Amino acid sequence: MTAYRPRYAGSVTRYVFVESPDMTPSDLAIRAYEISQGVMIKETCFGLQVTGKEDDVDRIVGSLRALDPAHIFVKDRGFPPGDPRRCRANLGGARPGYFGHEFEMGLIRNISRGLEAIPGRSPDELPHPPTPSKEPRLDAARLKKIIESQES
Amino acid sequence: MSKVRIAQLSCGPEYSGVQKEIDEAAAAVDAEIFFPDLKLADIRHSFDEFGLEVRSPDLKLAIARAKALVEGRVEADAVFIATCFRCAEAAIVRNELRRYIHEHSRLPVVSYSFTERTTAGTLLTRMEALTTIARRRALLAREVQQGLTMGVDSGSSTTKAVVMRDNEIIGTGWLPTTAVLQSADDAVAQALSAAGVNRDDLQAIGTTGYGRFLVGEHLKADLIQEELTVNSKGAVFLADTQRGPSTVIDIGGMDNKAISVQDGIPGTFTMGGICAGASGRFLEMTSKRLGVDITELGPLAMKGLSRNVPMNSYCIVFGTQSLVNALAAGSSPEDVAAAACHSVAEQVFEQQLQEVDIKDPVIMVGGTSLIQGLVRAMGDLLQTEIVVPHHSQYIGAVGSALLASGFIKGE
Amino acid sequence: MAKVFLYPTTSLILSDLVARFGHKPLSAALQIRERIQTAGLESPPLQITPEEPKKGLRWAAVEVPSGVRGRMSLYGPMIDEAEAAIIINNADYSFGCMGCARTNELIKYLVRKRGIPVLDLEYPQNEEEGVEFVAAIKRFLDTLVGGPQ
Repeated sequence: MTAYRPRYAGSVTRYVFVESPDMTPSDLAIRAYEISQGVMIKETCFGLQVTGKEDDVDRIVGSLRALDPAHIFVKDRGFPPGDPRRCRANLGGARPGYFGHEFEMGLIRNISRGLEAIPGRSPDELPHPPTPSKEPRLDAARLKKIIESQES
Repeated sequence: MSKVRIAQLSCGPEYSGVQKEIDEAAAAVDAEIFFPDLKLADIRHSFDEFGLEVRSPDLKLAIARAKALVEGRVEADAVFIATCFRCAEAAIVRNELRRYIHEHSRLPVVSYSFTERTTAGTLLTRMEALTTIARRRALLAREVQQGLTMGVDSGSSTTKAVVMRDNEIIGTGWLPTTAVLQSADDAVAQALSAAGVNRDDLQAIGTTGYGRFLVGEHLKADLIQEELTVNSKGAVFLADTQRGPSTVIDIGGMDNKAISVQDGIPGTFTMGGICAGASGRFLEMTSKRLGVDITELGPLAMKGLSRNVPMNSYCIVFGTQSLVNALAAGSSPEDVAAAACHSVAEQVFEQQLQEVDIKDPVIMVGGTSLIQGLVRAMGDLLQTEIVVPHHSQYIGAVGSALLASGFIKGE
Repeated sequence: MAKVFLYPTTSLILSDLVARFGHKPLSAALQIRERIQTAGLESPPLQITPEEPKKGLRWAAVEVPSGVRGRMSLYGPMIDEAEAAIIINNADYSFGCMGCARTNELIKYLVRKRGIPVLDLEYPQNEEEGVEFVAAIKRFLDTLVGGPQ
């Protein structure tokens, strides 16, 4: 059994993803470097990771989000950037969580649309929650009628 | 030597705390575990195409990765399939993927169901076999023993040594394993004496079995190799079925092996067993309780009818209880011996033979293959005539001697 | 600010929207971070040791596979802590932390059993559904204690 000593203890890492007609992940990274003030910035496929003390990270993330609020999305990450345990180069393939990002980034424009539309509508005009689809059940009496009509 | 790349298809090891054990077992045999890279679109497409509608996303991912390997989109040397023990959904996927890869590629594959208690040590022999198959295909293709060589099988129950010359067995040694090195030395001395040759005359030595590393170092062996590949080789050599498919069953003293072999090389295999109730150990206990020598248990069982005695040795303690109860109730020793053989065969059939593809000829090897009652019970369960080759109890030693001849200088 | 359990717990979309609308998302990353940043015995990649499936016995019995119990040791405490939850019911392609269907069934059940406010949704497949989705989340979060009224 080997003792484990964590790196970056006490830090937080947040993903900042962008899916925007006006901004690419590398544009986002350039803006982040400009305001990083020593906080670690690392580019990823969908945007970047910001690692440092929570207040510093929140400051940077807040500034970045303000650039394009409806198209920039933020999420916590458990690992520090480039951690060999999660790095694609070491695993041979993407860590499982990557596919989840790939899936959600594929439909995130719909969320952007929601974020853009909502401030312009009054609360009463907002559409109602979509309820998870339930398989419509055929009424037994109706099924009986169908069977009878087929038999006749 | 470049590392052997083992593709991992799995669900759950990271969350069971055993991924490290898998990585360590691979590293110990100079292999590395990797996860075939895919895109989300590949996963969806491959999962739909494979047609097994499981719900767990990680199992969907495993299916897609298996397809990528079989279709050659991702290269690997071997495949390790691992899912949680007691998960029915994963067991179905594990079996079907193992079968799919075995049928559609030449990749050696082993599947394993782990718990949080699984250790690198448990996985080591399996990983070693995967790397042997990947690394030593040329050596494993050897069909003829040449020169003067010796093989030593340091097993958990017994130690065996065999001396071979020009494709013939010329001397054997066999004794229970006590102190590992002493037992090996004694078995070697027996075999050399029977062969009428000196230790210095030997041109190459091979070792296998639990004690292979220790004994191999002690004897300065040219080849130290796990028993899965060695026994497969020994089995098809002795049964004279070196080409084509075969199935090797070795019910050992501590664990069992079931191996699907193609041209002498394992394709898929399983090792282990839940309890000693499914191993030779239970038969040893039975013969002790019946007051007969283990060599007499087989003939005794042949005279009995297993169905006359209810016995289930899923657990060795309960199995022993059934044994005692049956004798107390007046069952004949013949029927009890037959029931014990049937029970062990049934455990191996249920726990292990479901994980490999049974193709004729089915070859039983190892010390337990000399117990006729056990061979008959296995034949009844598999509905086939089981082959027990000559010298079957020396299988590992013969395989080692055969493969070691590949190391004779000038070869 | 209410603590909101997310399903899938790895969701970028839910994590972002919950934080954006002024609440605290309880995501898998927080549990992983806690383990990654705590010294102990080395157990890569997630620093989940064989002890975690044993801790998981609080939520699932010993005959439940170790992977389920190990995952429950991450999510069980989050469910206990949650004051509300948002569940996306067609999250069929969330791997890793959400990779086991049996765990996922248990998570949803335990969330519902807690009796906290739960919003059920599906992933939006077009822009109008996107508006509905975001509106539903905003409306739900606004009703929670500590949220913007």
